[in-house]
Amino acid sequence: MTAPAPAPRSVYVYGVVRASHTVPPGRIGVGERPAPVRTVRAGALAAVISDAPARLRAKRRDLLAHQDLALTLGRDGPVLPMRFGMVAPDEESVRRQLLSTQNDCLAALERVEGRVEMNLKALPTEADLGSLVREDPEVGRLRTAARRAPGYEASVRLGEAVARGLRRRAAAAAATVLAELSAVADATVHGPEVEGCVLNASFLLDRRERRRFEDAVERLAAAQRDRAELRLTGPLPCYSFTEGRA
Amino acid sequence: MPTGTYTEEVVRIQRTGTLYDCLELILDRGMVIDVFIRVSLVGIEILKIDARIVVASVDTYLRFAEACNRVDLEFDRSKTVPELLGGVAGGGGSPAGRMATGLGKKKAKKAVAGVGEKVKRAVGADDDEEEEGEREERESRPRRRAAPTRRRSASASEPSEPSEED
Repeated sequence: MTAPAPAPRSVYVYGVVRASHTVPPGRIGVGERPAPVRTVRAGALAAVISDAPARLRAKRRDLLAHQDLALTLGRDGPVLPMRFGMVAPDEESVRRQLLSTQNDCLAALERVEGRVEMNLKALPTEADLGSLVREDPEVGRLRTAARRAPGYEASVRLGEAVARGLRRRAAAAAATVLAELSAVADATVHGPEVEGCVLNASFLLDRRERRRFEDAVERLAAAQRDRAELRLTGPLPCYSFTEGRA
Repeated sequence: MPTGTYTEEVVRIQRTGTLYDCLELILDRGMVIDVFIRVSLVGIEILKIDARIVVASVDTYLRFAEACNRVDLEFDRSKTVPELLGGVAGGGGSPAGRMATGLGKKKAKKAVAGVGEKVKRAVGADDDEEEEGEREERESRPRRRAAPTRRRSASASEPSEPSEED
């Protein structure tokens, strides 16, 4: 995972927009001494870039700078946000890249136009442990065993079974939630696996549908509160919907 | 049940600027262009490992087992692990029991915040390996753990960066 130090003319790429997109003036980018943000145009597209900082790490400041810019751009039209940390060797290579992917990018821009990404995570909850003990045969069996012959090992096995049971219960609740929310979203994708979560899903929504979506999540969270904890994040740049194909 | 009252309690809608609940999207989603260089992101793997320890440690198992043994299957009125740990098991459907439930929720949230804290630290941990960290002792562990895998580059000779966050 060793990356060479960026060449002096290398540029950090924040995202791709239509060539007609107005980029707000005075924005600065990532890095310890952030460079001004500018655009490089090619055909019907423009990439939003800045000089690449000499060394870049995933610092809070930089992650926020990346995300904030994508969100700001999103107010004036559709944006395809780049993954954090994409650096091109020079402006010319960005131009070439824009031209060679123009059709896909235009299709993807159309797809996210007027839309936002909402991310939902579901986690196991310890609420209502009693019903788990009553309903999960494995937990019940190990609990009886641990009572008969108490000890460290018996306790660990019981605890593991509880953790598994809580996870299973949360996953089942999350499946219900996912099915309901997918029906009201324009598109749904699974996000990367996150430790501790039983569900990580992103939804593509019309901006105007956001309130309705949040209400739906709230209702589902209340209904499933003894089985799963739901955490909704957004509106986000459409990180998960940057491909033109539906 | 008026749904509006659940906003804080049940579903936590994060503000847009919140990073740590969407960190994996910023880092693992978004558009990629093959010919571009991806800046090395040391420290991110480390935080995942740390989170797993929080979620599935032996301590957690023992706590679950303890709570489980306190569940009274016949007269079960108490519901949450923290409540059970608080010793209100069985016949405890009193105001005290309800308070314990509330307390339990706070504890659960704290546990989640604890994971977030680790994420924060792990992200921050990548800051300044070169810098001797007497001022921020809490960052010392992830920083040390990040060290073996850290990127070797000319940057090691550069002046260290002041860390601005938190």
